[in-house]
Amino acid sequence: MPFTIIDGGSFISDAGSKNIDMPMSPDYMRVLNVTRLKTPITPLECVGGEWFGAKFGSGASAANRGIRYKHPNPATSSLFVDSFDTATATNGFTYVTEIPSIEAQAANAITAITAASPAVVSQTNTYADGDIIQLYGTTGMLQIGGMNFQISSSSGSGYTLLGLPAAGFAAAGTAGFTRRVSSAGAVEPRFLFVTAISQANQAVITCSVDPSSHYVAGMKVHLSIPYSFGMTQANQVTAKIISVDSATYQITTDLNSSAFTAFAFPASTASPTAPLFATLAPAGASTQYNPVTNVQTGYDFQYQPFRAGQFVPYMKLGGGGSANLTGIADDVINWMAYKLET
Amino acid sequence: MAPELPVQAAEDLLSTPMFMLIHSFGVDLHYADSYIGKNYRMSRFDRLSTDGGRLDGSGIDPASEVPVRTDIDAEMEIYSKSVSVNEQVILFDGNKTLTKFTALLGQWIREKEDLLMRDLFSSSVSYINSTGGLNGDQPSDPTRNDFNNIENILLSNDARSMLTDIEAENKFSTGGVRDAFIALANTNLCADLQAVQGVLLKNAYPSQAGLRPEEYCSISRFRVFVSSKAAKIPGISLQGNTVYTVPMYGLEAAAKIEQNNYTSTIGYRPAWVVSSVAQNSQLYAKFAIARAITNQNWISGLNCTTFNPS
Repeated sequence: MPFTIIDGGSFISDAGSKNIDMPMSPDYMRVLNVTRLKTPITPLECVGGEWFGAKFGSGASAANRGIRYKHPNPATSSLFVDSFDTATATNGFTYVTEIPSIEAQAANAITAITAASPAVVSQTNTYADGDIIQLYGTTGMLQIGGMNFQISSSSGSGYTLLGLPAAGFAAAGTAGFTRRVSSAGAVEPRFLFVTAISQANQAVITCSVDPSSHYVAGMKVHLSIPYSFGMTQANQVTAKIISVDSATYQITTDLNSSAFTAFAFPASTASPTAPLFATLAPAGASTQYNPVTNVQTGYDFQYQPFRAGQFVPYMKLGGGGSANLTGIADDVINWMAYKLET
Repeated sequence: MAPELPVQAAEDLLSTPMFMLIHSFGVDLHYADSYIGKNYRMSRFDRLSTDGGRLDGSGIDPASEVPVRTDIDAEMEIYSKSVSVNEQVILFDGNKTLTKFTALLGQWIREKEDLLMRDLFSSSVSYINSTGGLNGDQPSDPTRNDFNNIENILLSNDARSMLTDIEAENKFSTGGVRDAFIALANTNLCADLQAVQGVLLKNAYPSQAGLRPEEYCSISRFRVFVSSKAAKIPGISLQGNTVYTVPMYGLEAAAKIEQNNYTSTIGYRPAWVVSSVAQNSQLYAKFAIARAITNQNWISGLNCTTFNPS
């Protein structure tokens, strides 16, 4: 059963998790953190790992696991080997073969979500900034159960949901669960959850994730705003994007909502009978055509086509600290993927 | 010592399971020409405003209106699969192996295409939670009222129904089927679909002529087609159950684009090409596809959970 190295590469870690496209469907993978192999060593730092695919049967690596090589504690001259933990301690290899899918992970319990703008989640976690998490079972904030959010300002004890202005909520969330999901949809542009719409001549739409990864100015979006969100006039309306702000997760549109009723999440107590969720979906791009001058006014054409989003299969290398596969910022990570010849 | 039990092969291979293919037949089919780029553009002019328009007799021309066009672009993508065959398989096990593998690759093309269209529907369409059900989850199991809400959305957006009506006939326990939009559901929802008020199961249609095997029932203005591979997202309902997304749409809501000179290629690489000792040959299949939601006004859908989790 000889191995063939089918692909390999190197990247500079940003301390977050890293997705590597795997068109060759590997059976075995090795990762080495070249930077952490320095001396003198720092105890318990991860210097590499190995992953075994489905062909190894009962010896295959479970999701978010794999074999980990790390420096000993206290420091001695030799490495020692253990396994990446499946729960919340450390992140290893996660091989994802199909989307839309939740990246196979143990459900992670939330202890609190603040009723603030933006909302802040308390949770022991190893997520990294930019990760997208699916929320459910959100006691006290049932109206957001089932939505996904992009996280920022993450630490081991919590993170911020920049796209959730929850100051108007009646109460804080007191419990719930999360799972990490793919950062892109199976097809892009994907639909996004809407968490706020301003009443303005050019309505500003706040999304639960950074919209700049999915939409650009000139594209059109179709709004689906159930009556439970108040701004019924915006339901089933198509608007053109004027600008996209990645810092605030907001889209400015040509929709004049100044005379609309206010947008507001339904109360948690209205669940599960209140219709959910407010969303926007891609509706092409607008071109103005003047038949007198034969001039077309368009947009940036290269970003708008419907296309495959997240490439599958891919390998997610876990981030979130020096005990994980991608190490800490600026670490050099080498990886090699192998395939069994038979 | 007892003799080895004799083994006799059946005269033909058993069927290879294939899931119901429901995600392509209701979409428009387009063809992209070769050699002019990988993005395919579909364009639609918006309606002209019906405000005003009356001439007042002054002889002054009214201001002309600048038409606005909506462009829907889709990027062509290529998918492939291969199967390697050692000469000893053919030599010792039979010469029909390549024929069967060719059929498998053909099946793969159809199944993969179906899943790609499913992904389009699940990623790029706005869905609304079912709320009328009794399972206490968010979203709930689907009800008549939830179906009616989506019908209202589609009709209010001037969507046209996809399927023509089936006229009632003088047969016991049957009823006429209205012209209808299409709904695509996971087979795990079948028990819940049967429980929806006013459901007309397929056997109660006045005529079975021309019905697809994937069709399950008719509810309100929707005819529901089911597949075990229809979209679902595990563990994200309020109670941690699987959520099923049910796209519901009318005419010209979505498109599948095939690439001229490339679509659905199945080929054979002989052993003397693949292997240095001419022992391994290879079969492959390739196809090109682009996909797009062409009108968001004419497509919507429901998020559902099931009352009877399987």
